[in-house]
Amino acid sequence: MIRPVTPTGVREIDALLDGGLPVGAISEITGPETSGRTAVALSFLRHLTHAGRVCAWVDVSDTLSPESAAVAGIDLTRLLWVRCGVSKDATKPSADYKFSLPEKYLIVASKKKRLHGGGCGGHPRNEVKGLPNAVSGLLRPVAIAPRCAEPQRRVRAERETFVPQAQPSLPRAGVRSNSSKPWARIEQALRATDLLLQAGGFSAIVLDMASIAPEHASRVLLATWFRYRAAAERTQASFLLLTQHPCAKSSGDLLLKFQPGEARRDESTVFTGIEHRLEIERQRFTQAPTNVIPLRKSPQHANTAEWQSQTTWAGAR
Amino acid sequence: MTKSAEIYACLYAREFPTQALLRLRPELRDKPCVVMDGKPPLQEVCSLTRKARKLGMAHGMTQVEVDTFSGVTVLERSAREEAAAREALLECAGCFSPRVEEVSYDRSFLCVLDIAGMKGLFGPPEALARSLLTRVGALRITACVAVSSNFHAAIAVAKAPLPLSVRVVPTGEESMALAALPLTVLDLGEQQAETFLLWGIRTLGMLAALPERELISRLGQAGKRLRQLARGEAPHLFQPVEPAFTLRERMELDSPVEVLDALMFVANLMLEQLILRATARVLALASVSIALALEGGAIHTRTVRPALPTNDRQIWIRLLHLALEAHPPQAAVLGVTLDAEPGSTGQVQLGLFSPQLPEPSRLDITLARIRAIVGDENVGRAVLTDTHQLDGFRLETFSIDPFEIPSAQPAEAPPATLRPAMRRLRPPETVFVTFQGPRPRAFCFRQRRYSVERAYGPWLTNSEWWSATLWGCEQWDLVARAPDGSALCGCLMRDVLRDQWKMAGLYD
Repeated sequence: MIRPVTPTGVREIDALLDGGLPVGAISEITGPETSGRTAVALSFLRHLTHAGRVCAWVDVSDTLSPESAAVAGIDLTRLLWVRCGVSKDATKPSADYKFSLPEKYLIVASKKKRLHGGGCGGHPRNEVKGLPNAVSGLLRPVAIAPRCAEPQRRVRAERETFVPQAQPSLPRAGVRSNSSKPWARIEQALRATDLLLQAGGFSAIVLDMASIAPEHASRVLLATWFRYRAAAERTQASFLLLTQHPCAKSSGDLLLKFQPGEARRDESTVFTGIEHRLEIERQRFTQAPTNVIPLRKSPQHANTAEWQSQTTWAGAR
Repeated sequence: MTKSAEIYACLYAREFPTQALLRLRPELRDKPCVVMDGKPPLQEVCSLTRKARKLGMAHGMTQVEVDTFSGVTVLERSAREEAAAREALLECAGCFSPRVEEVSYDRSFLCVLDIAGMKGLFGPPEALARSLLTRVGALRITACVAVSSNFHAAIAVAKAPLPLSVRVVPTGEESMALAALPLTVLDLGEQQAETFLLWGIRTLGMLAALPERELISRLGQAGKRLRQLARGEAPHLFQPVEPAFTLRERMELDSPVEVLDALMFVANLMLEQLILRATARVLALASVSIALALEGGAIHTRTVRPALPTNDRQIWIRLLHLALEAHPPQAAVLGVTLDAEPGSTGQVQLGLFSPQLPEPSRLDITLARIRAIVGDENVGRAVLTDTHQLDGFRLETFSIDPFEIPSAQPAEAPPATLRPAMRRLRPPETVFVTFQGPRPRAFCFRQRRYSVERAYGPWLTNSEWWSATLWGCEQWDLVARAPDGSALCGCLMRDVLRDQWKMAGLYD
């Protein structure tokens, strides 16, 4: 029986797995942080999205970086991203540190695109209107004050008003809303995954529990994984499970154990990439069933692969 | 157009206030119902069902008189629901002829269709009348249709109390057909009716037989017109109306409703009507807005727009239910209005070898359900924005365009090597950093102490100087090792404005 596989895009892993990750089954990728799990999963999705297929990323701890996904070559329009456990105040950009600069220094941005492509404001001649006043307003009164021989003008020193807005009160460490608790996140993710698997049509569903501590991840019932496996088989979806510790047990068709990565030391000025290593812990249907019992020990597959990742800014090597 | 080619069909629905209300209340159709009109306490029965009439009720009864009957449902007259029903009927009539004239009466609906030249499309007038009645029956309105070559004769025959629902008057036999009808089918003034009663004139045939000159000398020009009407010869200038195609259904609830499921039951009936009207024009519903009139005067509006226009009522009900569940109304609901936008029922032929994709309508429901679980803003596809800021993206609604044909050419050459992925920490986790000169030497992260093996940086980013938002950070790529030997590659950020060190993400 031919079991369909989808290539991961990493030559070494594809060679090790005889083609790639199985379709319609659970593949579990385990390993600590910095072991290359996310990079391999993204590379896997890249192939599918470019073939016009649709994939889903169920992000349990809200860690997916769309920039990384774009760098990996994923067509972001074909990737459904489900962010779990995001509280409402966390979605607001917290890095914003707003000054209300006096309005007279800002050009009012207009939504209309003009012919000259300036993008803000009307005709360019209007942009210079009142510029001398604006410039003198910006400068301190001292700079444009008349020198001693010139007739003294009375300039009332006006204080510039830069009013910083009230800073958003930072949430105290340790006090977190209910939705940020690991188990609440996991539950959301499991329900969302259930719905996605039932809907069908997704070629790959990634359940990213890679940042969830093993003691939480292992609380997921084995029946859940069994149900997912059945649903994945029915809808012919590749189900990818990223964890720190194996969870799916016998429901998973493939268990890849990633070893901790080692940073490359090619350059002293930039971070160039990581060296990765993986081991196949378990793989179903590796050997064709046969009635012949060999006398000798049959030749064994190699079950480790090593490869390197390279950052975009490291350049060609 | 010659005079002989004229032919009109008159659609007449009696007891319209009741019919308009019972259209969306099918459970009351087999029960005696009366509709009261007027300001309390001077309300009177303006319309009633046949069952109520059989009980002995009649028009003009007061509230006290109505109270003497038991088991009668009393409804308030609703001008809005009547307007909606009238709109639906006119639109239905518009499917059979482009020229429709509405002749409005207070308690009945009457419109006349100019069906000259429609034979090729709908067959003979009888067949057209029957299909018109079938279509009107689907709107849950009982009506009758009269066909005649004279406009007023068609109206008079339609209003006659005959047991037939389709009445066709052959051309040239109008006066014969009208002869037996009572005088009540004409709109007589009170004085005229009294005069004719004194004269002993009871039917149109008797009126038509009166000598013209003597009638005019006694009743004036009005007499001449009445005689023409009775003979089926009155001329008419047809003034067609052009009803705008709006898909809107209104319903005022009898009592405030708080349970969402009960509301969905009402919405289901209204959607059925909307879909029926859209289907008659070979259209589908593209979006539906539900506006709930709440207690206290507020209006709660939700709009549902699936990826593809659909006429599947179950899908609409589920989507509306999920939308209202996610944003429930804050008070009890008094009235429901459904506004729909029509869209084309485009069918797409998928390729035999095109990849398997989620079914659009099913995906809409799935996404709405996931939205209910994780929140509105947390599902979708990421779109990168043009900035160097962290989290420079926004989420857009995920949809798949089925008309988009996936590119047949192979994807561009894969990158020679794998790119390390960043796992962002949201929000960035605080770290305590120890320095050696300007470079970080060690840090505490997640209750573990890491010594920095290599630190690359700092890389500086800041906000656009021309915008009002100010931010700036210093970025370090760190390769660190814990005392137990586990390595960590991460991206450390220093917020320049606040001077805080945070772990922004880990390389994986």
